[in-house]
Amino acid sequence: MNVIRQALVLVGKDMLLEWRGRSRFISVLLFGVVTLLLFSFAVGPDSVALRAAAAGFLVLALLLSSTLSLSESFRLEQEERALEGLVLLPVDPVALFYGKAIGNTLFLLLLAPIFTPVALVLYSVELGAMKILTLVGLWALAAAGLSAPGTLYAAMTSRLRSQDVLLPLLLFPLVVPVLMGSVKAMALVLGGDPLEQLRSWTVLLGGFAVIYWSLCGLLFPYAIEEGG
Amino acid sequence: MVLAGSNGSGKTTLLRIAAGLYKPSRGKIEVYGLDPQRERLECRRALSMISHQAYLYDRLTAIETLRIWARLLDRPSADSDLMPLLASVGLERRPRLQVAGFSAGMRKRLTLLRTRLEQPRLLLLDEPFSALDVEGKRQVEDWIRDAREAGAAVIMASHAILRVSRLCDRAVLLERGQIVWRGDGEGLARRLGEQA
Repeated sequence: MNVIRQALVLVGKDMLLEWRGRSRFISVLLFGVVTLLLFSFAVGPDSVALRAAAAGFLVLALLLSSTLSLSESFRLEQEERALEGLVLLPVDPVALFYGKAIGNTLFLLLLAPIFTPVALVLYSVELGAMKILTLVGLWALAAAGLSAPGTLYAAMTSRLRSQDVLLPLLLFPLVVPVLMGSVKAMALVLGGDPLEQLRSWTVLLGGFAVIYWSLCGLLFPYAIEEGG
Repeated sequence: MVLAGSNGSGKTTLLRIAAGLYKPSRGKIEVYGLDPQRERLECRRALSMISHQAYLYDRLTAIETLRIWARLLDRPSADSDLMPLLASVGLERRPRLQVAGFSAGMRKRLTLLRTRLEQPRLLLLDEPFSALDVEGKRQVEDWIRDAREAGAAVIMASHAILRVSRLCDRAVLLERGQIVWRGDGEGLARRLGEQA
C-alpha cells in the first residue's frame, strides 16, 4: 500500500514538472509529427503503399519520440541530483520505478491524440470511431511496453554523457516484440482483420507489457545504484 | 562528530557509504546495527543526509517541494503544516517562487528542511556551511544544535574547522581514507591551526 501511495506521489510530481516544462512535450510532439511527415515523403504519393505502411510508421514515430522523452525525463532527475535525493529518502525503489514508468507512459499516451489523426490524414486512412478507439487502446499498450524497459535503461544511462546514443542502442533490441506486436495489431485495425487475428496480437502485446513491467520493477533498484 | 581532512581524503566517500549510496570496497559499516546496503530502507528511516547537491527540482516551488517530501515520508502535508517549516528558515515569503529563482543559500535552506520532515536519529552533513551567507551559517549552526538536543547524532564533513570545532564533541582527521588523528573540536582546531 505504501509503495502504491509513494508511486502516485511521484507520478504527480512528474506530471507537475511536465506541465511546468511544456516546451519539452511540444518538442517531442513536433519531432514525432515531423517524423510522420518524413515517412510520407519517403514513400511518395502512392496512397496504397502509404496505407499499407501506416501502422509501422505510427509505431516508429512513437518509438523514436519515446527515446527523446525518456532520456529527458531522467535529465531532470540528474539536475541537482534530485534522483539521489529521492533514493536517500525511505522510499521503496520499486515505487521510484513505477512512479517514473507510469509518468513516462502517460507522457507517451498524451502524444496519441495528435499523432493518430496526423497519421490518418497523411497516410490517407479512413477509420470509424470504434476503430480509432481500438487504435488508441493499442497505442496505450505499446506505450506501456516501451516505457517500462525505457525507464530502466534511461535510469541506467542517465549519468553517462553518451546517454542519447546508448539509450536507443540498448532499448531498441529489447522492444522488438512490442514493435512487432503493435505494428501487426494496428495494421489489422487500419487495414481490416478478416482472419480475426487482432485479439491474439493484442494479447501478445499485453503479455510483453506485463513481463516488462514486472521484470524492470525488480531490476530497477540495481540500475540506480551508484557503486562507489 | 566532525570529519576533517584535505580534498580527496575520503570524507564524502565515508558519508556516502554510511548512507548506502556507495558500497565499501572492503570492510563493513553499520548504522545502528543495520547494513546500509542490505537493509537500505530501514537504514534510511534512521538517517538523513545533506550533500553538496540540493536535491531539488528547479521547476517546483518551495511549498510543492516540501509537500512531495512530506507525502513520501507520510507526514502531514497541508500548507498549514508546511508554512511554519518554511518560516523557520526564512523562506515563508516565497512559498510560490520556483526553485530556479532561488539563490544557492535559499536552496540549501530548503534542502535542510528535508531533515525536519525526516526526523532522523543520525544526520550526515557534507559541507553544511557551503554556499551560505553569515545569517545562513548561523541558522545552520542553530539547526545542528537543535538536532543534537533532540537526540540526533550528527556526523559532518567540513572545511570550516573553526566553526565546526565549536559544535562537535569528537573529531577525526582523515588522509587518503585513513584516520590519522582523533580528538575533540578544540584539538582539531589547534592541530590544523598549527599545520596552517
